[in-house]
Amino acid sequence: MEEKLIAIAGNPNTGKTTIFNALTGARQKVGNWPGVTVEKKEGFYIYKDIKFNVVDLPGTYTLTGESEDQKIAIDFLTQNKVDAVIIMVDALNLERSLYLLLLLSEFHKNIIIDLNMVDLAEKEGIEYDIQHLEKLLKIKFIKTIGNKNIGIEELKAEIYKRCKEPVSETFKFNYGMDVENIISEIESEINKLNLTYPSRFLAIKLLEKDEYFINFLKGKVDYEKIFSKIVNLEKNLNKPVDMVLIEKRYGIIHGIVREAIIEKKKELKIEITEKVDKILTHNFAGPLIFLFIMFLIFNGVFLLGEPFKNFIDLLLEKLKGLISNLNFSPYLTSLLNEGIISGVGSVISFVPNIFLFFFFFSILEDTGYMSRAAIVSDRVMHKLGLHGKSAIPLILGFGCNVPAIMGTRILENRRDKTLISLSIPFMSCSARLPVYLLFTGIFFKENQGMIIFSLYLLGIFAGILSIKIFGAVFFKGESLPLIIELPPFRMPYWKNILIEGWTRTKYFLEKAGTIIFCGTVILWFLNYFPNPYNYGTEMNFSGKLGSLISPLFKFSGFGFWQAGVALIFGIYAKELVVGTFGTLFGSENMSNMLSIYFTPVSAYSFMIMSLLYMPCIATFLVLKRETGTKWAFISFFWSLFIGWLFSTLFYQIFNFLKGG
Amino acid sequence: MEKLIDVKEGKYKVVDVLKHGKFKKLCNMGIFIGDIIEVIKPAPGPVIIKKGNTTIGIGCGIAMDIIVEKVE
Repeated sequence: MEEKLIAIAGNPNTGKTTIFNALTGARQKVGNWPGVTVEKKEGFYIYKDIKFNVVDLPGTYTLTGESEDQKIAIDFLTQNKVDAVIIMVDALNLERSLYLLLLLSEFHKNIIIDLNMVDLAEKEGIEYDIQHLEKLLKIKFIKTIGNKNIGIEELKAEIYKRCKEPVSETFKFNYGMDVENIISEIESEINKLNLTYPSRFLAIKLLEKDEYFINFLKGKVDYEKIFSKIVNLEKNLNKPVDMVLIEKRYGIIHGIVREAIIEKKKELKIEITEKVDKILTHNFAGPLIFLFIMFLIFNGVFLLGEPFKNFIDLLLEKLKGLISNLNFSPYLTSLLNEGIISGVGSVISFVPNIFLFFFFFSILEDTGYMSRAAIVSDRVMHKLGLHGKSAIPLILGFGCNVPAIMGTRILENRRDKTLISLSIPFMSCSARLPVYLLFTGIFFKENQGMIIFSLYLLGIFAGILSIKIFGAVFFKGESLPLIIELPPFRMPYWKNILIEGWTRTKYFLEKAGTIIFCGTVILWFLNYFPNPYNYGTEMNFSGKLGSLISPLFKFSGFGFWQAGVALIFGIYAKELVVGTFGTLFGSENMSNMLSIYFTPVSAYSFMIMSLLYMPCIATFLVLKRETGTKWAFISFFWSLFIGWLFSTLFYQIFNFLKGG
Repeated sequence: MEKLIDVKEGKYKVVDVLKHGKFKKLCNMGIFIGDIIEVIKPAPGPVIIKKGNTTIGIGCGIAMDIIVEKVE
């Protein structure tokens, strides 16, 4: 079957994900862009005789070398044979979307414009002369309402047509004679190099003084000569060239929109979004509402997930019973029951909670609340010397530290990126949830939600402390100021929410099936040998390992070898803390045994340690990639120290206050 | 004329942006000199403005460099 490659580009909040999901449905996967750690979404659909591979590019407002997102979009479109590009346009914000179109049209010709959210534009009384727009831009427009699945078939038909009959020419514009002459001169220098980036595109990047592309071309072209031409041009124009380019582009856009837009008279009404924004971003009420929403989510995750968790536990017990009756060899029975099912099973039983967690978080994103959270957080982040956008990867860290650290790519400043990357490991991710659920279920049944919430707050405190200390010692200086779009509030699109919840849960299950599976097999081996008749005791390898480190935790209240082993395996993957106890004590005896070894105070101390020390090996590897080896190791040892310090202080102070 | 960080709710015209880098950032979001914006939420904290159908939050670091004048 013939295959074609389609890219979806556009500003953030234009409905790219919704259209991507509408085209590909469940036939999608999430990964990383090669060489970087920005999330890549790709999927496919089949239409008539062609398989269309669809890639959802990161949302961008412009195309510069400033951020990884923009570089990814540029590289993908210039270095792959992309058969067609769909540019998502928000029907309420045609002007800004057309800016990206102008930039993209400089190096890609086979473009379709998806004019999305036309229903919202109609409500605002905005109407477009689509035929005139198509004539001016020489580009086909398809109207869609992504969250109602309207226009998708027409979009597929147009993509098919465009791939079968690609266009070779599209909208052309120029920047005026003076600027175009310089562009031509620079182009002729670059043409000699035979690079994958189009030479006109690179010439314009040099005029814009884009540092990334300047560094890319340094040594390849006579940059000093080019720079002196730019300086002369700016003297003639009496302003910076990059401003001339922006003004020219927007001049063209204003002209197009003026000709093509038919704006009806709008009824006077107070926008609901505006009214709600006044409350949600209120200086006093805003942060309280934010914390309250987080509190609701965390409690909802436990209450709604509990019945499903209990059902899974029951199924696992039945499975163990079945295996015991099959008369396998003692080694195999032990490996399956005490190793794999106890270890992996004790983690899988938390899947309902994980799904609910990502489900609620996706609702916050889809409704538009996340950017309000960044606004509300800016005052706090600014006091920490950070950009308000920094709050977003920090918030993501509550889901999983790994994509959260990857998400620091949205921060343009290396200082902010490193500081946030160092504090994200303290954000209590979903992998720690099984640990909290286990211990609070035994020791704090009546206040489960409140206790777990306190741990999240403690993690935030530790993160802030890290930012302050590292910021003062290693990263003196200013952060970039905040400027962020607040999309209109909308009802969540349930298909997106469910796909997102399922994709994240699948990632968790894959981790359970691979890393944790391997971890539990290794752990079973360490527990079983050299003395199979004394499974999970100090006589085996695991016990010896745990005994080595347990004295360190004597003053934290859990100085016994089983806790040491659990913490060691928790470095591999945090869920293995639960899996380890399940393997060491047996999952049916686990609660009883933990009640013997821990007290409520030492249980809370242990949860503090689990919260604060390095989340998992995957986090370490991502930190290494994003911040470098030095900072990854600093983060690792710092988190061990902070975890030990806080848990010890808590245990000692609490016991002191209780009278020893 | 006042700094955006100092104004109250209402409609204003963007008169100047004091730093080039910040001006580029605003331009990328579709805000130019001469544009009429509506301040929905003033400082303290980020200023929330509306231009057309776009609502944008602007941190204090940028808002203090945007010069506006009130539009009646």
